[in-house]
Amino acid sequence: MADKAKIGTMWLGGCSGCHLSIADFHESLLDVLELAEFEFSPVLMDTKYDEVPELDVLIVEGGIRNDENRELAEMLNEKAKFIICYGTCACYGGIPGLGNLFTVDELEEEAYINSLSTVNPDKIIPNEEVPHLESRVRPLEDVMDIDLMVPGCPPRSDVVAQAVVALLKGETIELPTTNLCEVCPREKPPEGLAMDFIKRQFEVGAPEKDLCLISQGLVCMGPATVSLCGAECPSIAIQCRGCYGPTAKVLDQGAKMVSAIASDYGIDEDKTVDPEEVANQLDDIVGTFYTYTLPAALVPAKMQKGGK
Amino acid sequence: MAEDIKIVMFCCNWCSYGGADTAGTARMQYPPNIRVIRVMCSGRIDPQFVLKAFKEGADGVFVAGCHMGDCHYDAGNYKLDRRMRLLYKLVEDMGIGKERLYHDWISASEGEKFSESVKMMVNRIKELGPAHLKDQLEVEG
Repeated sequence: MADKAKIGTMWLGGCSGCHLSIADFHESLLDVLELAEFEFSPVLMDTKYDEVPELDVLIVEGGIRNDENRELAEMLNEKAKFIICYGTCACYGGIPGLGNLFTVDELEEEAYINSLSTVNPDKIIPNEEVPHLESRVRPLEDVMDIDLMVPGCPPRSDVVAQAVVALLKGETIELPTTNLCEVCPREKPPEGLAMDFIKRQFEVGAPEKDLCLISQGLVCMGPATVSLCGAECPSIAIQCRGCYGPTAKVLDQGAKMVSAIASDYGIDEDKTVDPEEVANQLDDIVGTFYTYTLPAALVPAKMQKGGK
Repeated sequence: MAEDIKIVMFCCNWCSYGGADTAGTARMQYPPNIRVIRVMCSGRIDPQFVLKAFKEGADGVFVAGCHMGDCHYDAGNYKLDRRMRLLYKLVEDMGIGKERLYHDWISASEGEKFSESVKMMVNRIKELGPAHLKDQLEVEG
């Protein structure tokens, strides 16, 4: 028992979905438990934050949303030797990161006063003995020293189980660096990849089998997304929404995709296509291209008037 | 304060940078608030470049390329044109404001247009005032 590695798992600004993907290791969990033991995990067992043991490996899901997240992240940073940034929220901020388009006041007002399901006649916004939201969501990297990033929403259990076992055995781990298109089973249409219109899935209906989704007018984030998932969504005719984040060579997933879509749109008729057309067909640029990575983008939050 | 504004300008090697040269050789005057970055083609300008400029504290970004049909590589500027239309929407959504971003076509012989466009852009950004994005992002917590 004594020579087993000590694993801890932690959740910060996430939804616990990544913990479910750990629980979903299935039989691989036995391989993991042979080499290691879970010593600290607030989601899966009873733990006290003031009695955190020294950990060999710490798996963290979720980004930094409030001051409690930051405090716990700083504390755990001291306790753990090897930190795995687990899931897209931890790596890039994830969906909570879209909150960066609003101020903290706007978010609190929406959550505690305006939302239809909230009954709050006195319009009280809780501010005592609850963690306070920080000015914006930040990826974990800003607070902790990260040794390995495993993105995904959530990361694929089988891939991660393999990675964790390899890690515990002391082997090196290589995560893919290519984009989704490299592994996507869909083929380039014979008439070229040009996009002639942009539509949403329900407007297109079932896309043509085996042909690239982009050429059929769907905004597939594959060109700017890392291939860790093995193109699961495109293989069942759903366009990629970029949940695994960018490849290592891309700084800003959304901007890269803006570039790709704009270049590809009507590329065969470069000189005759109306340049405004592509912009007119996309209403929600940030929501479409930065669904998962806004806090890690080059411009990670909406610029507020006055810069305060 | 308004004197300190910085505008990053991307110029394509074949036309707009030549335009800057022409303006320089003819000793045309324009404000010193621009920093020109030369790229081989305006089609090479990735939205990441523009966003990075804003992140690093630029108050405005000006992208210039060859006139339509004059691109040294045939159609790079057409692609840039489409990209910029999306970028205007993106910077507007990100609160930076589309007025801080501008693109235009300047040929190598248009020194006059180069200096006039720069003057126009500098005046526009001076009216808007400095962008506070960098200060905002540096706030802790």
